[in-house]
Amino acid sequence: MTMTRLTRGAWAAPGTSLEFKTGNWRSTERPVHAHAKAPCHAACPAGEDQQAWFAKLQEGQPQQAWRALVHANPLPAITGRVCPHPCETACNRAALDGALAIHNVERWLGDEAVARGWAYPVDTPAPDAPRVAIVGAGPGGLSAAYHCVRLGLNAALFEAAPEAGGLLRSAIPPTRLPRDTLDAELGRLLALPGITLNLRARLGRDVTLDGLRDAFGAVILSPGCELPKPWSVRGAVPADLHDGLHLLRDFMDHGALPDAARGDVIVHGGGNTAMDICRIMKRAGANRVTLITASALPGPNTARDDLINVVPRELEEALEEGIEVIEHATVSRLIMKGSRVTGVEIVSLRKEPGPDGRKRRVEFEGTERVLPVDMVVPCVGEQVSPDGFEGVLDGAYFWPDDAWGRLREDGVFAIGDARGNRGTVAAAIGDGRLAAQAVAARLLGGDAPVADLRPERGVAGLNTAYYPAMRRTAVAKLPVAKRGFETEIEGGLSRAEAMAEAERCLSCGNCLACDNCWTMCPDSAVIKTVEAATDGSHYVFDLDYCKGCGLCAQECPTGYIQMVAETG
Amino acid sequence: MREALEGSLAIARAVAMAKPDVVAAYPITPQTHIVENLSKLVAEGDLHTEFVSVESEFSAASVVLGAAATGARAYTATASQGVLLMSEVLFNIAGLRIPLVMTVANRAVGAPLSIWNDQSDAMAVRDAGWIHLHCASNQEAVDTTIQAFRIAEATELPVMVCMDGFVLTHTMEVIDMPGQAQVDAFLPPFAFSRALDSADPRTVGTLVDPGWFAEMRHSHHAAMGRALGVIEKVDADFAKLTGRASGGLLTVTGDPDARVGILAMGSVVGTLEAGLADFGTEAGTARLIKLRAFRPFPARALREAVAGLDTLIVIDRAISPGLGGIVGSEVSAVLQSMTAAPRVLNYALGLGGRDIPESVYPALIAAAANPLAPRFAVFDADLDKLMPEDR
Amino acid sequence: MVQDSTRLNGLRAKHGRPPAGPHEPQAAPSTLRQGQPRFRGLEAGHRACQGCGEALAARIVMENAGPDVMVANATGCLEVFTTPWPQSAWRVPWMHSLFENAAAIASGMEAALKARGRNTKVLAFGGDGGTYDIGFQALSGMLERHHDVLYVCYDNEAYMNTGIQRSSSTPHAASTTTSPAGKERMGKRHLKKDLLSIIAAHHIPYAASASVAYPADLARKVRYAMGIEGPTFLVVHSPCPLGWRHASALTVEVARRAVECGLFPLVELERGALTNIMPIRTPRPVVDYLELQGRFAHLFDETDTRAIEERDHLQALADHNILTYGLAGTGDDPVDTTGIAHVRRGGPLAERT
Repeated sequence: MTMTRLTRGAWAAPGTSLEFKTGNWRSTERPVHAHAKAPCHAACPAGEDQQAWFAKLQEGQPQQAWRALVHANPLPAITGRVCPHPCETACNRAALDGALAIHNVERWLGDEAVARGWAYPVDTPAPDAPRVAIVGAGPGGLSAAYHCVRLGLNAALFEAAPEAGGLLRSAIPPTRLPRDTLDAELGRLLALPGITLNLRARLGRDVTLDGLRDAFGAVILSPGCELPKPWSVRGAVPADLHDGLHLLRDFMDHGALPDAARGDVIVHGGGNTAMDICRIMKRAGANRVTLITASALPGPNTARDDLINVVPRELEEALEEGIEVIEHATVSRLIMKGSRVTGVEIVSLRKEPGPDGRKRRVEFEGTERVLPVDMVVPCVGEQVSPDGFEGVLDGAYFWPDDAWGRLREDGVFAIGDARGNRGTVAAAIGDGRLAAQAVAARLLGGDAPVADLRPERGVAGLNTAYYPAMRRTAVAKLPVAKRGFETEIEGGLSRAEAMAEAERCLSCGNCLACDNCWTMCPDSAVIKTVEAATDGSHYVFDLDYCKGCGLCAQECPTGYIQMVAETG
Repeated sequence: MREALEGSLAIARAVAMAKPDVVAAYPITPQTHIVENLSKLVAEGDLHTEFVSVESEFSAASVVLGAAATGARAYTATASQGVLLMSEVLFNIAGLRIPLVMTVANRAVGAPLSIWNDQSDAMAVRDAGWIHLHCASNQEAVDTTIQAFRIAEATELPVMVCMDGFVLTHTMEVIDMPGQAQVDAFLPPFAFSRALDSADPRTVGTLVDPGWFAEMRHSHHAAMGRALGVIEKVDADFAKLTGRASGGLLTVTGDPDARVGILAMGSVVGTLEAGLADFGTEAGTARLIKLRAFRPFPARALREAVAGLDTLIVIDRAISPGLGGIVGSEVSAVLQSMTAAPRVLNYALGLGGRDIPESVYPALIAAAANPLAPRFAVFDADLDKLMPEDR
Repeated sequence: MVQDSTRLNGLRAKHGRPPAGPHEPQAAPSTLRQGQPRFRGLEAGHRACQGCGEALAARIVMENAGPDVMVANATGCLEVFTTPWPQSAWRVPWMHSLFENAAAIASGMEAALKARGRNTKVLAFGGDGGTYDIGFQALSGMLERHHDVLYVCYDNEAYMNTGIQRSSSTPHAASTTTSPAGKERMGKRHLKKDLLSIIAAHHIPYAASASVAYPADLARKVRYAMGIEGPTFLVVHSPCPLGWRHASALTVEVARRAVECGLFPLVELERGALTNIMPIRTPRPVVDYLELQGRFAHLFDETDTRAIEERDHLQALADHNILTYGLAGTGDDPVDTTGIAHVRRGGPLAERT
């Protein structure tokens, strides 16, 4: 090594400061790229990473966005219509200028994929790949079949009904989910090589669980909840009782309702089925439809756990259509003329914390009042039809031990509504994916799937100075007068609208490639490089020079850069 | 070509023949006609240079520094207060080893305000690290100005050409001006090895910590030592070309066998030569030493020049109050190492423009003959004008 | 012209190449660093404090001015932290002489380049001390003589390099080591000098203020000034975490609030006339700016009526700026204080529109 010699007048050569590693100055903290879950992703029962597919839309690549979406959820045209979208409730943008219209964009992507014939990003499983039996071809079973194929397994669906779709077909009216949309998306999924669909194959009648366990590598149970929960008021049950689920099925099969439905109707319950039957009965000519619910309508002071559990826009449309809602109430007595109901007594109630800390329902004495009715429709939930599941069911539902749906019976998994604490199409789709992952690990080897424990990046972790205000795109709706039984009520987005809405995504917890860190590092310690960053970001930190000032983390819009304690 | 010229105009013409790229100057009080004459040459199209009319001497020095660092041949001129206002920059120019040439029309420094000649200004910046060349005549000043560019560019040290204000700058003298072809032959275009250039970007003016500062100063000192030879060689080359030398480091005239010597810088040398001619026979002869290079200080040449003298009178055109003479002190220090060093008498003369008559010569010789003569005095001060406590 | 563009292309191809220096051969800089899609005029490895606003501002200025430039740099933090011998963070010809003569050195450089027929643009850099105060005369001379120089003042509102002494740019009521707050004093007694008006009064082609909070705006102003032949001037508000006593991560946030409250107006003046401003979409109260900084901590003693008065005084000064320059925004503007900051995937929004 040659010795440094003094130059004339002590001039120095350009850029030689690189010899001085200012990274040594960093004493307490250094920046890291920390992928965090965007709240939409964390809230999605289907496990979609909405932020990830919005990023592709922001790059102008809808097909890539769809591919990222169907990595988790193969049925976006369907969920884009029926999902209560907890993603939007969680969206950080709600605190700025309104949550992203994630639901509408998802529907646009799903429709676009169908219209353009984009192929699912899955390979055909080997013919001798392990085979998985899936009981029930509702959204959970279809998702499980899709993910089995995606992971290299063959899937055989056993469906009791003559058509696939489960409650998508039996309980969701075409005004919410047009049948051509349903058929198109299901058809594409079922056409995937590796999936076989056995219709009219009911467990306990046509096949048995033991038989499936013998013939297949694993069995995923996705029967859904076909039976209404038993309903009575202090032992009284009207002779002409019609539960909401059956009414809905009958109406969709035959287009007819009982005569009593022309008068004053009380619907007792608080879920999407209740909402659907309210609206159908009203449109079919009921004089007056009143929903009695123990929960509350949305309001500025409504607690999250008190809120009525329906798709918000369905509620909004129902109110537009003249459905009346009595919140915080329950049916306390039936007033009968013979075996026919002529009135109900209702009473106010609230969920109050009990001595054990859990909330319980408390009816308030003295608040009773009587409403004259022609028909009472209970709609208080559904349960699994037990045929063929003897010994496996635990009460009315399956209660697996973990998120992957493992039951105590080896190689048997349970998913979807049949788990008892699910309740949405998206949750069933998510369950299908998780169960397929566990099954694939079991049958193909490899590590068992683990939970994603990344932190969630809330709005407090963002620097919102960098986001332009952009109003949420509104979609058109059929006017009340034109709403019938077939035409879809809610309109869709145009391509331009979808792409504009995508621009509103804040990219919470994930790199936006905005250049802020690169532009604002006083020490040139952020290197811009799309190709070389191994963590999916567009930049790397040059820790040889980073002094740990924290400016990049402070000015990162998305909270993707975090300062962490120096180790060692 | 010989012609009668005012000193300032002659210097302006000499500078013009050196073809400077950039000239910057400011007319501080007191000023000379040098830059006015240069401005006129520019205005008439006789000189193609970037003439920067700055807002202060401080900026004048800074502009020529910036220009020279960028590879320009640069020139400025100043005097008196201007030198002091520049002083911070002068140290900077030298420390950065930037070659450029500056004429100092030597004058007193206030207070009190004086616009007349002495050499207090140059003495005040003697430690700035510049080469100081003192001229005894306008002819020497012209020739030295041209030589100064070559010396500066060869050594990468700035050169201060000192000529007495008024006494030289404002007087007419018949001067043999070199021809442009001669100057062109003598002074090739400037090619600065460290010129700032975006094709080869250097950083100039770094922060040097104690681990390197001593070496910086040592290297500067060593460069000044090497400059002694360069000054002599350049003068010899000039003499070859024009037949005229300007006095190398120093020149010895007068009576080589005299036991008394007188050393001086600048125009007073001419007065002493005239005094010797007029009064030598009567008062006694002397060896005259004309010191041209004050920085670098030619210690060896000086010791050779004083060999055999009993008494050396050193004339100072400035004073360091509380010490005495400046050149005298330095000469005394340099002669310490001689085995038979002459007695040194150090007299300040002509401060603030006081006229130095030829009759000073016999008075100095008389002092040399007096064994009780003071070692230092303001030789021509009239003590009767003072309050008693100041005499 | 052909010669110039060839030379410039040569330069552009060259920057980033390890230089033949006076000292030991260096390890080649990483390919990643070399491959940066911007001119690295001010390289990493400089010794500025954490979160230095001046280092950030200078880096952005160099990116937008280089590579065919040379710099005259006044004494100050920027000079000291970039050039401790034998190292330099600069990749352009750069020279430091003294505290007060950057403008004169730049004048000399420009004169030399003109004399030698070169088109390299000269930049002069100084802090507020070297610009508002000690170097002001040389700057005025440079502007009056109409040198083709872009002078950039990195304004951190005190003599930071020498130990946080007040300058004529220090805001009213700020506490510094020579205007400390105490029983008898509420920090600096005097006002911040309105330098830009004085500069503009030289009738130069372009004078503007900018802030590190708005890099896109700063970049535009640098490029605009680079395109002008003649003297141009930029003052860039550059927070100093050490001197202002705020967290190093908050440099941009503090600068942003200074602009949003009106205390540091972003304006452009051409030939002395106000030609453009950055509108403030939503003016913030001055206390939002003050409360982040220790130098104003004495203004937050609620039991001290002088503190309340000085806060109101600073608010009045900010309001005066807003009124004088017409900074109040009228509706959303993509280049107002809010719009200019916006980003989208792939970079600043402003660059796309």
